Amino acid sequence: MARRYDSRTTIFSPEGRLYQVEYAMEAISHAGTCLGILAEDGILLAAECRNTNKLLDGAVPSEKIYRLNDNMVCSVAGITSDANVLTSELRLIAQRYQYSYGEVMPCEQLVSHLCDIKQAYTQYGGKRPFGVSLLYMGWDNKYGYQLYQSDPSGNYGGWKATCIGNNFGAAISMLKQELGDKENIKLAEAKDLAIKVLSKTLDTTKLTTEKVEMATLQRIDNNTVYRVLDRTDVEELINKYNKLEAEAEAAKKEKQAQSQSKS
Amino acid sequence: METLLGIKGRDFVMLAADTTHARSIVVMKHDQNKIHQVSDNLMISTMGESGDTEQFTEFISKNIALYKMRNGYDLSPRSAAHFTRKNLAEYLRSRTPYQVFMFVAGYDAQEGPELVFIDYLANAKALNHGGHGYGSMFTASIFDRYWHPNITQDEAYEVLKKCVQEIQKRLIVNLNNFNVMVVDPNGVKKLDTIMASSLAA
Amino acid sequence: MALAEICKISNASYMRPTAWATDDVNELKSYASNFENPYTLAAPPFANPVENLNKIQANADKTGIKIEFDHGTTTLGFKFKGGVILAVDSRATGGQYIGSQSMKKIVEINDFLLGTLAGGAADCVYWDRVLSKECRLHELRNKERISVAAASKIMANIAHEYKGMGLSMGMMLAGYDKRGPGLYYVDSEGSRTAGNLFSVGSGSIFAYGVLDSGYDYNLEDEAAQELGRRAIYHATHRDAYSGGIIRVYHMTKNGFKVISNEDCEMLHYKYQAEKAAQ
Repeated sequence: MARRYDSRTTIFSPEGRLYQVEYAMEAISHAGTCLGILAEDGILLAAECRNTNKLLDGAVPSEKIYRLNDNMVCSVAGITSDANVLTSELRLIAQRYQYSYGEVMPCEQLVSHLCDIKQAYTQYGGKRPFGVSLLYMGWDNKYGYQLYQSDPSGNYGGWKATCIGNNFGAAISMLKQELGDKENIKLAEAKDLAIKVLSKTLDTTKLTTEKVEMATLQRIDNNTVYRVLDRTDVEELINKYNKLEAEAEAAKKEKQAQSQSKS
Repeated sequence: METLLGIKGRDFVMLAADTTHARSIVVMKHDQNKIHQVSDNLMISTMGESGDTEQFTEFISKNIALYKMRNGYDLSPRSAAHFTRKNLAEYLRSRTPYQVFMFVAGYDAQEGPELVFIDYLANAKALNHGGHGYGSMFTASIFDRYWHPNITQDEAYEVLKKCVQEIQKRLIVNLNNFNVMVVDPNGVKKLDTIMASSLAA
Repeated sequence: MALAEICKISNASYMRPTAWATDDVNELKSYASNFENPYTLAAPPFANPVENLNKIQANADKTGIKIEFDHGTTTLGFKFKGGVILAVDSRATGGQYIGSQSMKKIVEINDFLLGTLAGGAADCVYWDRVLSKECRLHELRNKERISVAAASKIMANIAHEYKGMGLSMGMMLAGYDKRGPGLYYVDSEGSRTAGNLFSVGSGSIFAYGVLDSGYDYNLEDEAAQELGRRAIYHATHRDAYSGGIIRVYHMTKNGFKVISNEDCEMLHYKYQAEKAAQ
């Protein structure tokens, strides 16, 4: 009768909670951080890379950001093997849609379709929820640039900027602070902001190029252009940030010195 | 012996279809509508094996309505045509193929007007003008002669009248009335039926 | 019997409880499964019935195997200001043979819904019975009588499901519902169409002649009933496969009324006498 227990992975606890789902979310909040920012002229995803061992083959260009179809890209936080299953499913769903309707799948439909699958894994017996949260960036002719986030429960939502993974709470409140009063920002500003948020919320003291992966999606001349930023581009952004930070630090010190001398 | 016609302009598509419903040698009905409005900006005209026409058209239009209900926006005419063609192609290789000929016509704010010809073998082609059935044999040259890229709705209606006149003159079968519908940025609209009596006047 | 089982004697032909082997019984059951569920009517017992049934019928001359369906009929129905008139003959034929002169070709599905049969009599009767059941269930489930549109749609869906498997039906459904009088034509091709005037069957071409020349939407009840009767009579006169009793039904907002059941022969002499008197 062992099946009586293991075939019911996700059942409500007496307090009305689904522990397996919550554990899955917990697992994700220890994973590498991913953030996404919606700008008026594009959209970006940035991710923290944990595997920075020097022995790793650098030929693999991007490990946490996946192209889904012509108009969509996602980044993942959580168990990478689960994520691989989900991304290949996403690609399949997107292509099936294209096969049926002869047009690129609208963003929200793709997200919602995957979330139906994720939800099923929180309800049917003998299944474990996927330990993955995803950020999706995309463009479609219905709603333009879009940023979505989905979690293991199968919930999803659209955002202007959001973050998943390690320290996501701090990152989100920082994004809220920075973007709170702004209606729109440019993609260039969004890139700077992404570096700023990452460097302030990552556990490491110093942000390095191999720790950051960044990708942008833009619509140029009726084509969706997806670009993974080069090392040099990221380095430039980091240097720019460090310089600004140093200046700010210097200004702060000067101010302190002034106020001390006054007193 | 049924006939469907279609013509596309810069910002509209116009469809015409005869209104007979025949069974063996008997005309059962003289006012059978063969042009169906599927959504605000989409219509489908169907002819072919009786029974199949009704069932397949209904199957497609209900699926397109379901798409709108699920997603809150309409399928574009081009996607609707693609969807129709794909379903027809899949049924073609099943035990129960649908023998239908159709035009999918619609207007989309972004993509513009679209007129797609689909035959029972699931060939699909976007056209500026075209026809199905024996009647269309006589009208191909009329369309070639009178169609031009900037054709207006009034001109298109006159071309369709010419087509109907020719069908009534040369086709052995008697096709009295042709329903006409048009889709443009304002939606789908039924125009005056082209009748043998109105042509004579 | 335990020993018999071990020795496998029970498999021997003389040990079988019936003339059929167990497998045959199962096969038989599968062909009779429609006793339990009417929608599981067995298709013709060979592969690809859609194609092969036609081949069998086409090769009938060579093989001598031909299914002669009950085919000849004249039925008609039309709407007019007073409701719907249905009129039919009553002859049932199988090839050249007259099987019955007193068929009821109008099926009373309920007080507000009538169906006419033409084509395969068995097919029509069978599916009309299924339709009756569905209509009654609809009434019980929804506390409201089924509309003519919905009833005809059920029939058309059935016909389409079995399309090409040899069903032969051409029926009219006449009724009265919230939308007023209704008249639909449904056939085994799966087509379904509403209309004001239909005639179905081998004699329909003759009936159409009389009907079209005498039809007017504003006919009085009696004139309309007579038009239907007349049209069928002329069809029985010209069509060898139609005859027997001419039945006229009238559907009004109060349900159907049986107007007359008259022998076409009697009518013939009556009409002859009227003509002579003119």
